[in-house]
Amino acid sequence: MPSAAHRSILGIVPALGELPIFRPGDRIRIRERSPIGHYRVPTYLRGKRGSVEAVIEPAAVDNEEEGYGRNAGSRRHYYRVAIPMTEIWPDYVGSSRDGLRIEVFETWLERI
Amino acid sequence: MTQTENLVKRLPNDIGGLPAEPIQRTDHELEPWEKRCHALADVLDFHKILNTEEKRCGVEALGSEMIGKLTYYERWIVAFANILFRKGILTPADLARKMAEVEARSTPSGPARE
Amino acid sequence: MSRQEKSRDQAHDHGHDHPHAEISQSERPGYYEIMETAVRELLIERKLIGADEIRRQIEVLDSRNPALGAKIVARAWVDPAFRARLLADGRAACEEFGITFYDDTLLIVLENTDKVHNLIVCTLCSCYPRPVLGLPPDWYKAKPYRARAVSEPRKVLAEFGTMIPDDVEVRVHDSTAMVRYLVLPKRPSGTENYSEEQLAALVTRDTMIGVVPATIDTGRKAP
Repeated sequence: MPSAAHRSILGIVPALGELPIFRPGDRIRIRERSPIGHYRVPTYLRGKRGSVEAVIEPAAVDNEEEGYGRNAGSRRHYYRVAIPMTEIWPDYVGSSRDGLRIEVFETWLERI
Repeated sequence: MTQTENLVKRLPNDIGGLPAEPIQRTDHELEPWEKRCHALADVLDFHKILNTEEKRCGVEALGSEMIGKLTYYERWIVAFANILFRKGILTPADLARKMAEVEARSTPSGPARE
Repeated sequence: MSRQEKSRDQAHDHGHDHPHAEISQSERPGYYEIMETAVRELLIERKLIGADEIRRQIEVLDSRNPALGAKIVARAWVDPAFRARLLADGRAACEEFGITFYDDTLLIVLENTDKVHNLIVCTLCSCYPRPVLGLPPDWYKAKPYRARAVSEPRKVLAEFGTMIPDDVEVRVHDSTAMVRYLVLPKRPSGTENYSEEQLAALVTRDTMIGVVPATIDTGRKAP
């Protein structure tokens, strides 16, 4: 991905949704949405806080829309998110170091 | 929140974190039709007739009772049928007719043809 | 009772006793097999799929099994540069090795270390690194594993006989999108003089799911 500095030298304007919104290290929360119909963000993670570990490239179709036959268009990024087990389960039994990783579509994340 | 809202908000396959039994280390050699069913999913995906996510959505749409009672590949083939109907690729009548034909040819002393 | 046994039991109700020459009772298809056959034949008749494509895809599926993953792991154990490439881009490294990916999935290889023990699961369905490992075992697709691996991983690991010390992080990966995972187990000690082939024999399917570590005693006897 060309850097912001390079882009500005060339006068490049990226398309809407083309660039990742989040970067590794960003603190995020998984949204509290309860969609009806197909979803791929499990209920056990709604509202949980974590951090972005990696940006998955390339941008891809929203898998929730894909479930209804949309094979292309409106691509955004998925992010590999790290969440501590103690954040997910208030009564977690195990080591406080234990954690979870999951890939989440951009529209499911909010910056905190 | 009422009992029924939970049914709508939580898909039957969304089971992460729910209480469950000890793991039974079961496995089975796929029956030929199950393997053909898996191959069919892949081939339909290659042809952009039915992608993997649509298949997942189709299985979810079967609802908790069918999901609980049908085996893994049984769920797939029923989901495929439903999706193919919805897309207008097959009709229920087509499938019923063909299933009767398949059944007749595989039953040694099936019903006499008029 | 298996499907075939059920068919067998129901088959002799039609009230005659001559032997069935062509189709044995155990081969009579059940309801869902009939459905699968009918769907497939209709699609072929309408030229939506080719007559040979299913057979070919079965060959593709049959060619994928844990032995492939074991070879990848063994290579990573002996070749640090390959290991680095594998950890940087799992799919590219596997393709370099000759393993084609017939779908749109990506692969992240997860390195077990003295500090981290990785475990893979798909809570929502049965996502699994099929191009590299073949088809998943039934228990991986069933409720107990999928429900509990994310909430009580250490208890799940204990059911497989695996105890991870408290100062080692248990890291659970829930595949819900296009990324698939493969665990790169720790190389067992005492294998310094092993050939790549001998090393691969220590790597079973379950070590690459992360439910058990690779040990010097692991053989091809069990998955």
